[in-house]
Amino acid sequence: MEIQIDNLKKCFGEKVAVNIDHFQVHSGEMLGLVGNNGAGKSTLFRLMLDLIKADTGRVLMGDVNVAETENWKDWTGAYIDDSFLIDYLTPDEYLQFVARISGYSEEDMNNFLADYEKFMAGEVCGQKKLIRNLSAGNKQKLGIVAAMMLHPKVLILDEPFNFLDPSSQSAIKHLLTRYNQDTGATILVSSHNLQHTVEICPRIALLEHGVIIRDIANHNGEAIAELENYFEV
Amino acid sequence: MTKYQLYKLIRRNDELKDERHPMFDRNRFMKFLAIFMWLYEAAILVFMGVLLPSGFRGMYNGVSAFHVLDGFVLYLLMCDFWMRFFFQETPAQKGRPYALLPIRRSFLMHIYLSKTALNWGNLFWFFFLVPFGLIAIVPLLGWWAFILWLAGWWLLIVFDAYLYLYARTLVSKSIFWLLLPLAIHVGLLFLMLWPKENILDIPLTELMYQYTVGNPLVFLATLLIIALAYWACYRQQMRMVYNEVAQKEEVEMKNTSQMVFLNRYGALGEYLKLEMKMRLRNKTVRTSFLMLLAIMLFFCTVSYFSDAYSGAFMKSFICLYNYVVLGMTMLISIMCHEGNYIDGLMSRRESILKLLYAKFYFNSAILLLPFLLLLPLMISGKMSVWMNLGYMFFTAGVLYPICFQMAVYNKETLPLNTKVTGKQGNWMQQVVSMVMLFLPIGIEKIATLLLGDPWGFILLILLGFIGLALHKYWLLNIYQRFMQRRYVNMEGFRASRGS
Repeated sequence: MEIQIDNLKKCFGEKVAVNIDHFQVHSGEMLGLVGNNGAGKSTLFRLMLDLIKADTGRVLMGDVNVAETENWKDWTGAYIDDSFLIDYLTPDEYLQFVARISGYSEEDMNNFLADYEKFMAGEVCGQKKLIRNLSAGNKQKLGIVAAMMLHPKVLILDEPFNFLDPSSQSAIKHLLTRYNQDTGATILVSSHNLQHTVEICPRIALLEHGVIIRDIANHNGEAIAELENYFEV
Repeated sequence: MTKYQLYKLIRRNDELKDERHPMFDRNRFMKFLAIFMWLYEAAILVFMGVLLPSGFRGMYNGVSAFHVLDGFVLYLLMCDFWMRFFFQETPAQKGRPYALLPIRRSFLMHIYLSKTALNWGNLFWFFFLVPFGLIAIVPLLGWWAFILWLAGWWLLIVFDAYLYLYARTLVSKSIFWLLLPLAIHVGLLFLMLWPKENILDIPLTELMYQYTVGNPLVFLATLLIIALAYWACYRQQMRMVYNEVAQKEEVEMKNTSQMVFLNRYGALGEYLKLEMKMRLRNKTVRTSFLMLLAIMLFFCTVSYFSDAYSGAFMKSFICLYNYVVLGMTMLISIMCHEGNYIDGLMSRRESILKLLYAKFYFNSAILLLPFLLLLPLMISGKMSVWMNLGYMFFTAGVLYPICFQMAVYNKETLPLNTKVTGKQGNWMQQVVSMVMLFLPIGIEKIATLLLGDPWGFILLILLGFIGLALHKYWLLNIYQRFMQRRYVNMEGFRASRGS
């Protein structure tokens, strides 16, 4: 699924949060979005998910303007923060809820979850705990798994490596790469972790003050030098 | 920084907490209404304070007006106690932001407990007591007695504030602790009302008289009792601070009901489960539900066993209240609890529409609960079946559509699991509440006047049926208008989340 951004602008008072003339993410592409705090990464994702109103411009998923219909929600999975989770459900109930409202059977769900058992490390599903009592890392895992469960054609994850332990960070990298290869889904990932982003994303966009200032090809991990130089790591 | 500077800083922070609340500027009408209501209540108290001395004077031969009032001291203190549930926060909740700062916890607690005593709110009853005392005491005993009498009242009100604090903290652990003050107050009322001679009358009057004559031992004893209450609150609050800082409810759930009977309804069934689990698993929502249920039960019991509410208007009001109150309390703030996870809902297609359906079906089904509670009254002939059916169908078919309109306009997230103090809703919510409580009675009374009994209730049933039959259309309309306003609402929900 191709994503196209045209003349997209969002300001909060005087501050310009996002200002992108034109940007295209090709179908099946895995794009990493990097930038300092306040660069506009989460705002851009929220605009793409129609969670905030753009001052000008539009986001197209395929030929669908996300602000005009809800069709795109059928093929889009996303996890931005824990406001995506219903915290008085248990993880199993939440996953069942997501599956059932999307018309998935119990069997489909169980088959899907079997692939993610290692990532969840037995600490998410099968617990008699409410989501609000999970650790930040386990909430993150649950949000990511729920976003991927419906086999979306577009997957948007904001800071997916946050709160995760090293083995879970490694696991999510493998899961995202494999998911991209198996399904041809378009994946957008924002992160402060340059190493992880460079490892999994063949294309990286550098965002500062709401503007995409660099669009870096990264087929052989060559972007790391440029990014480290920019961020003075 | 000196302790006094720290005290001033904390006081300033408390003021800023209110002033900088995201909803503060958006709720000008409520601020105006709150000030208006405050002035109105103060005016009523002053009015009563001026009128009652002459009324009391003739009540008992040879008993002066202030002695009569002093006999009512417990009533006033009980009233003061229960009113505090609407306004007063516990220090443990207030002290949470400072818990990890280098401020002695005990010092912080002493600040908040002292503020409990020195709060201006404790003087609210003085709008009544001052004019009363000026008329009833000054001419008889002089200014000094008047001042001492007021000081006595103030000390008793401060004692009441600490009693409330202790009880409120227990209630925050479990709603059943509410039974403790309730039992004590019922017991006191029993002692005052049941025997032919009010056995508390003489000791209370004597106590108040001793204040008036400035008996130092009585003042000392009162101060000692307040000190004991302060100490008890201090110990309790210090224990509570640790719980507030490491606030974690029981982590392991004993029972996670799957509600499989709802699976047959597909996606709608899932939203119905969500609605039910929201009420069962979130302390704020659950407590509010249980309290309303207790009030409903109280009204039904009193109506069944006595003639206290046997007047035509009160009967109508009790019946309507029972049908309206559960739905009204939740639906007035419809979507406000969902504000906690609005992004998740909004990223799924038409989830809000399905949620609205679930809310409507759930709240309609729950109307069977008041019907069952009122059944004994119907069987005993104390309340007509037509009245019950009329209010039940009118609630589902007409009042709910009115209440559901708030889904379009509500944009303030309400916490699910923590206590909300002083959030009174916006002007629109207040207007809808008034409409829900008085529109049906108005329509019924006019229709009965024009058409006779029971046609007023039959009209309510018919109107209710029309609303029920059209529910798919008005729910869709509300959903479409919600979607038109979605950005404004989502921004509001995000801004007020966790505040």
